[in-house]
Amino acid sequence: MAADFEAPRISYATRRRLARVAETTILLITLAIIVFPIAWIITTAFKTPRDVYDLSIVFPPTVQNFVIAFNAPWNLGSKLVNSIVVSTVTVGIAIPIATLAAYSFSRFEFFMKRSLFLLVLATQFIPAVVIILPFFLMFRDVALMDTRTGLIIVNLAIVTPFAVWMIKGYLDAIPNESEEAALVDGASRVRVIFDVVVPMALPGMITAAVFCFILTWNEFIFALILTRENAVTLPVGLISFRTERGDWWELIAASGIIITVPMFMLALVIQRHFVKGMTMGAVR
Amino acid sequence: MSDRLLKYLLLLPAILIVVLTTVYPLAFSLITSFRDWDLTRNLEPTGFVGFENYVYALTEDYDFYDAVRVTVWFVVLDVAATVLIALGLAVILRRNGTLHRATRVLLILPFAMSPALIGISWRFMFNPEVGVFTYVLGVLFPWLRGQAWLADPTLAMAAMVSCDVWHWMPYMTLVLLGGLASLPRDSEEAARIDGASEWRVFLDVTLPQLRPVIAVVTILKTVFALKMFDQVVTLTGGGPGNRTATLAYLVYRVAFSAFDMGAASALAWILTAVLIALGAYYMRFLIVKAH
Amino acid sequence: MAEIVLSGVTKRFGDFVAVHTLDLAVVDREFLVLLGPSGCGKTTTMRMIAGLEEPSAGEIRIGGRVVNDLPPRARDVAMVFQNYGLYPHMSVADNIGYPLKLRGVPREERAAQVRAVAAKVRLDGLLERKPAALSGGQRQRVGLARALIRKPTVFLMDEPLSNLDAKLRVEMRAELKHLHHELAVTTVYVTHDQIEAMTLATRVAVMNKGIIHQLGTPDEIYNEPADLFVAGFIGSPAMNLIDGRIDDGTFVAGRLRIDGLGRSTRESVVLGIRPEDMTIGPAGSGHGDLPVYSSELTGDSTLITLADGNTRIAVRADKTVRPAIDDVVALRIDPRRCYLFDAATTRRLAI
Repeated sequence: MAADFEAPRISYATRRRLARVAETTILLITLAIIVFPIAWIITTAFKTPRDVYDLSIVFPPTVQNFVIAFNAPWNLGSKLVNSIVVSTVTVGIAIPIATLAAYSFSRFEFFMKRSLFLLVLATQFIPAVVIILPFFLMFRDVALMDTRTGLIIVNLAIVTPFAVWMIKGYLDAIPNESEEAALVDGASRVRVIFDVVVPMALPGMITAAVFCFILTWNEFIFALILTRENAVTLPVGLISFRTERGDWWELIAASGIIITVPMFMLALVIQRHFVKGMTMGAVR
Repeated sequence: MSDRLLKYLLLLPAILIVVLTTVYPLAFSLITSFRDWDLTRNLEPTGFVGFENYVYALTEDYDFYDAVRVTVWFVVLDVAATVLIALGLAVILRRNGTLHRATRVLLILPFAMSPALIGISWRFMFNPEVGVFTYVLGVLFPWLRGQAWLADPTLAMAAMVSCDVWHWMPYMTLVLLGGLASLPRDSEEAARIDGASEWRVFLDVTLPQLRPVIAVVTILKTVFALKMFDQVVTLTGGGPGNRTATLAYLVYRVAFSAFDMGAASALAWILTAVLIALGAYYMRFLIVKAH
Repeated sequence: MAEIVLSGVTKRFGDFVAVHTLDLAVVDREFLVLLGPSGCGKTTTMRMIAGLEEPSAGEIRIGGRVVNDLPPRARDVAMVFQNYGLYPHMSVADNIGYPLKLRGVPREERAAQVRAVAAKVRLDGLLERKPAALSGGQRQRVGLARALIRKPTVFLMDEPLSNLDAKLRVEMRAELKHLHHELAVTTVYVTHDQIEAMTLATRVAVMNKGIIHQLGTPDEIYNEPADLFVAGFIGSPAMNLIDGRIDDGTFVAGRLRIDGLGRSTRESVVLGIRPEDMTIGPAGSGHGDLPVYSSELTGDSTLITLADGNTRIAVRADKTVRPAIDDVVALRIDPRRCYLFDAATTRRLAI
């Protein structure tokens, strides 16, 4: 036994110092890998086309790209409005509906509960391409093609089950003693939901809302297939900068900033709650 | 109102949404997959053809086999890289320090970014003449200087994997960090007192306890990799040739370039079947773990 | 006037029977304590009275009215919860006033009543705080105030003191005792703490595994335990329960011989004797000589454990008695304080 604990050839102090250096190096490389592409996109947005092709790091910044992007023929403004409207309305519909369902799943026992919940969960594994085909065919017939309404409907398909799952996870962690106290105090179940459950679940609902907003905002395939002109959202709008006369990188970067910065701010706001989201309560 | 009725009423809107926006379209495309429905010839579906669309895909369709090969390669490389890097990084980030904290905060950013934007930006940065990635990689590894990344099948695949790993790895790191944070510290401390080196502690104590979380991350990442679509469109367009055309992308091309709805539905359902199987495994895993 | 009558009440959770065909009548204005180890069904029983759980079978009446199908709000019961069940997003005043708000009491009157109740439980000055800013004892009093403001026909209390530290628990116990005296409202109180049960109760129902083993006054529960479970559960340290047989009025087990227990003969009985009803003396002077297994000084007495083979016998002796481990001493037992139980049925036998 004693042999195991003899001093090694390299002293523990040296080993420790080496480990610390290695760790710092890895972290710095990681930071560089995360930050560099983002920084490059941001700087590109403020470059003139000539600076873009020179790979310059020092350059005179210009906001000209934003001006061009927001004017004809690119009309980034209308795409921005579409993205805002579609995301806001989708989340505005999904969160209340999901909260009610999540409450029912969290607090009651009922016939086929597990099957229903698994159904909700299963939707998350369905690839978008398989449900987009029928929507494409249906929307042709009912004039929902290239409309925000159509996009909202399809986005609800992704976002609602996801929100149910997230909010249920949050509710499960709240002891229901306060709700029982309210029931005994004389409140009806509906009253309990509004007076007690919603205020207590609000942080979870906000997290779910932000998450769903980001998902809808960044959603690409539905908007790619179901919009042409009027309802085009920001991510799909990116493709229009790739023209026969070349790719307008500085405009892509400028519109990239418009897409990304609001989401960065939202993500940082809910940073602490972020992780629980996607893994759906699997990680505690 | 009694709870007996209310609990169903609360559920109704959400279930309706799921049925109308997922179950119904799924059924619709399943039925379509048994039909001959080429939009270039007929606006309305013509007759049923049984398993003909599936049989064609599985026996004659070279595009299908190419897509399967591309998808398998992509999923394996993508999942392995994501999980391994995320695990290593999570273990380092578990410690406290200014740099650690800064990294943890910034890890959120890639996930909040639009995958389509990441794809199109990667395309720009891998441009042979003006791409900054091409330039930097050329400086670091001289044999890569001036490579046309997206024109070379292997390098294009590498570019696509790097793009998706950049998007997901930070998020998965945060998930694994969450898992690590929930582990009891005392078993690791006991192992240290018992004389284990840091590496043995990780291997013998930390890793086994983290297995469920690693499993969750692996399954989910596999699912997301199989569904990955945005970056194919914006980064490679499936090229060169169809060497980065994944199954999801093939469905899209058959449906919206060739407008063969029957064949596209069959292909989509083959992909769906794989994903549902994975989903079922994931859910069983969660249920088993819950007990 | 509110007596509570449970007839044949059963609660099943899947295959698990939490409460088994329970009959219980709580007399108007009494303080009834449901006492038992965790998982014995006492909380479930209370929750069925509150309307938070639905009985699987049986009938519950409050004040003569069958309440099985009534939601909690229609039962006119107030409840104090183990973890207080406060509304974390409301101020203390809003927490206490919430039952009145639900009943449409106007704001000013509500405020006045809240102030009055808060004064009674010494919460004045804290009314604007949120529950998170209160100590455990203060939260407990908010929960209590919220129940008191209702003037309900029944009080239900679910282990209300279990989250308080020892000193606070004693204080609140006195508080509750006084409140019950003052208000004289029928109270059902759930606890696993026998001291709380003994001190607070008019009557105690001792429960285990979904059934009531004994219902009686604290005095009866302590001095006339109905069966082995009650005998072993009540008292601290626990009553010694020694397996043996009766041979013409003499209890025989290992090295113990205790005579004067009637004149019957019986195989497999259990002798019960409380540690405080025994003493030790020099070897040869009692009912059997046993070695000392351990000796613990508790301050007011010495707790001595003796070994008879694998059986351990606890004796609470005078604090001046200080035997050493492995000393052999005589156990002296007062036969009049012995209980005999049938080992098969666990019921107490008459001596």
